[in-house]
Amino acid sequence: MATVPQTGAPINTRGELTADAPAPRDGARAKPKSGRSRLRRGENLFGWLFVSPSVAILVLFMVIPIFLALYVSFTNWSGLTSPFSHSVQFVGLTNYRTLVTRPGLYQTDFATSIRDNFYFFLFTVPLQTVLALWLANLVNSKFLRAKGFFRTAFYFPSVTSSIAITIVFIFLFQGDGVVNTILGWFGAKGPDWIYDQNGVFTNILNGLGISSPGWGNHMFIGLSLWNWVAGPSIGMCVLIILLVWTTSGTFMLFFLAAMQAIGEEVDEASSIDGTTPWQRFRFVTVPMLRPALVLVVTLGFISTWQVFDQVVLLGPQNPTTITPSYFAYQVSFQDSNFGAGAAVAFLLFCLIIFLTVLQRRFIKEDLTK
Amino acid sequence: MKRWKAITGLGVSAALVAMTPTAATASSGPTLVGRTHGVTLNFMIASSGPAETNADKAAAAAWAKSTGNKVNTINSSNLTLQLTEAFSGGTPPDVFYGETPMFESMAKNAQLLPSGPSVDPASDFYPSLVQAYTYNHTFYCVPKDSSTLAIEINTDMWNAAGLTNADLPTTWAKLAYDAKVLTTGHVTGLVMSNSLDRVGAFFAEAGGSYMNKSGTGFAFNSPQDVQALTYLQGLAKKGYLKFTPGDGVDAGWGGEALGTGLAAMTVEGNWIIGAMQSDYPKIPYEVVPLPAGPTGKHGTLVFTNCWGIAASSKYTAAAVSFVKYLASPAQQLRFANAFGVMPSRPSVAQEWAKEHTTTVATGTETPNVSAFVQGNVYALPQVATVGFATVETAFNNEIDGLASASPRQMLSGMQTNAQALLQP
Repeated sequence: MATVPQTGAPINTRGELTADAPAPRDGARAKPKSGRSRLRRGENLFGWLFVSPSVAILVLFMVIPIFLALYVSFTNWSGLTSPFSHSVQFVGLTNYRTLVTRPGLYQTDFATSIRDNFYFFLFTVPLQTVLALWLANLVNSKFLRAKGFFRTAFYFPSVTSSIAITIVFIFLFQGDGVVNTILGWFGAKGPDWIYDQNGVFTNILNGLGISSPGWGNHMFIGLSLWNWVAGPSIGMCVLIILLVWTTSGTFMLFFLAAMQAIGEEVDEASSIDGTTPWQRFRFVTVPMLRPALVLVVTLGFISTWQVFDQVVLLGPQNPTTITPSYFAYQVSFQDSNFGAGAAVAFLLFCLIIFLTVLQRRFIKEDLTK
Repeated sequence: MKRWKAITGLGVSAALVAMTPTAATASSGPTLVGRTHGVTLNFMIASSGPAETNADKAAAAAWAKSTGNKVNTINSSNLTLQLTEAFSGGTPPDVFYGETPMFESMAKNAQLLPSGPSVDPASDFYPSLVQAYTYNHTFYCVPKDSSTLAIEINTDMWNAAGLTNADLPTTWAKLAYDAKVLTTGHVTGLVMSNSLDRVGAFFAEAGGSYMNKSGTGFAFNSPQDVQALTYLQGLAKKGYLKFTPGDGVDAGWGGEALGTGLAAMTVEGNWIIGAMQSDYPKIPYEVVPLPAGPTGKHGTLVFTNCWGIAASSKYTAAAVSFVKYLASPAQQLRFANAFGVMPSRPSVAQEWAKEHTTTVATGTETPNVSAFVQGNVYALPQVATVGFATVETAFNNEIDGLASASPRQMLSGMQTNAQALLQP
């Protein structure tokens, strides 16, 4: 007879456990087959039970409203009645056409919001990624004392209310606020930060002597080309600084976790090989952080297209800080035009999906796959 | 002042069928339902501050006590948002502030009870206010109060510049001269908020308007409107006129510019009285009417709310009784004394004006309000067309750059956008 394993279950010559399990020494394994699957079923049941509150909330407050919004985007619902009342008419693609193809105020405003958000994304994502990486590197350093304090300090802006931070920033960046006063000490006269609509690129081009060139007058979806390349406005720059400062703490944690997973042996091995700290960082640490990098860039990218809280406080006075999500809110509630608002939301959704797919194709997460 | 004819349910779903023994049917207007005793009404307001909230609550309590009902007052932080949510959810408040920009959407969607004549005849109120709340020839809701725009002048700066009563800005030329003289150092002669809701007063003074004569379309690009905007551009170019916020004036609105000493004159409405009393009590100021335009016509803008009753309310009879109390002459006077808005009844407004005739006020006193009151007669109301908010925002965004923009282009742009709203 073959060796009896420690549980006492007999093994046949091929080494398989025989179907009938005899009385083993370990009582816990004495359960019959149907009992074992009952336990598995029990586990499944408990699993679902624990997850169900979150699933219910997700379905109720996200999935169902999303489908409802899709339905609304094809109607002319004003928001003042039930969306299923008989006064709400189905209008097909009219809302989408009004935003994209039909010349008019909505088309111009929508294109402006897309342009604003695009520059916002273009500047915020690289800045916050680099800042988060740098902070993580600092905090990870072997020679830094009071790491806990610095980690908390850098992470603190992310957990503070975004409304509170925005109000403080408005206060700081006012025409005669702290920032301009400090700039005044160096003899520079700061702009009226929050309300300035001039684009940064426009200012640079004007400084080089180029203003309103001929090619700039061509219209593309309601905005002239000159407007498209205007760059972020000064007001948008305040928003960029705010977002970078607030979110780099969260991403710092992602990088920190990934760095600590790398382990010290890799660092020591590479320093034995005679690399400088910068070389170590660039050729060893960063490539090993690739999955975290891709995660941070993707998350940053998706969240910059959904900025809303800060725009509510900072934005309404300055048309160059309007983002599509705020525009959807404005159109829905102020114009009682929820159909167009929902259409804005879905156009934004398609744009984000499209750009994310592009990004995933060009930046592979794991080079070994 | 016409007598409104009997309205027999103009296709409005407000004519509910259910009749209880105590239901009241007005001689003209929809059928009112529900008990009038022992009900609880929901009353949604959008208060400008503690003075207004307390006044509303006191009025509600007084009515509730005298009729044996209860009133639940809700002060909303964003009335448009909360009302929209309430309507779409099917549980609107019974009585609420009906704001002008939202009025037409509510009337179109049959959410507003056409209660005007049930409360009081339209002839009791200023015609411009009644017009603001008339849609499709139906007088929907009773105007609760009004505020008009006037010029507020810092009297210390006025006297220091050597100006006298003869220099008061009664014409455009005098206003330009005053603004020039009062612009010194970091003080700007005239500061206004960058909004059609201020600039539009000058359209009225030039003899122009928002709508065309027949009321069938907009007329923003009329020669008079262009003339008004060009006049303002002239002042802006020389730096005598600045717009807040932005444009180098660090204030959120005209009242703040006046209160912080950045402006010698500003164009604001009745609400500035409460703000100066609570925030800038040390500033002495007086209120004068806006100037007359080139044709000698006076013009200003009026901002008003109405007492809206939900068409789907279960207690419309009680709601009408409540609104009747709120709109009564005695109550209107109490509101006016509490937070400075003008009664919507001409007789009551004159009475209130008589009580406040001090010509020079520090921030703690109520100034001579006759300038506000007389404006009611010739004021332009706000546009209530659905979707106009976005059009107005687009125009407001361009006002900061008025000094270097083209008024004609700005106005024809707004005209195109506004007309597009009227196409079905």
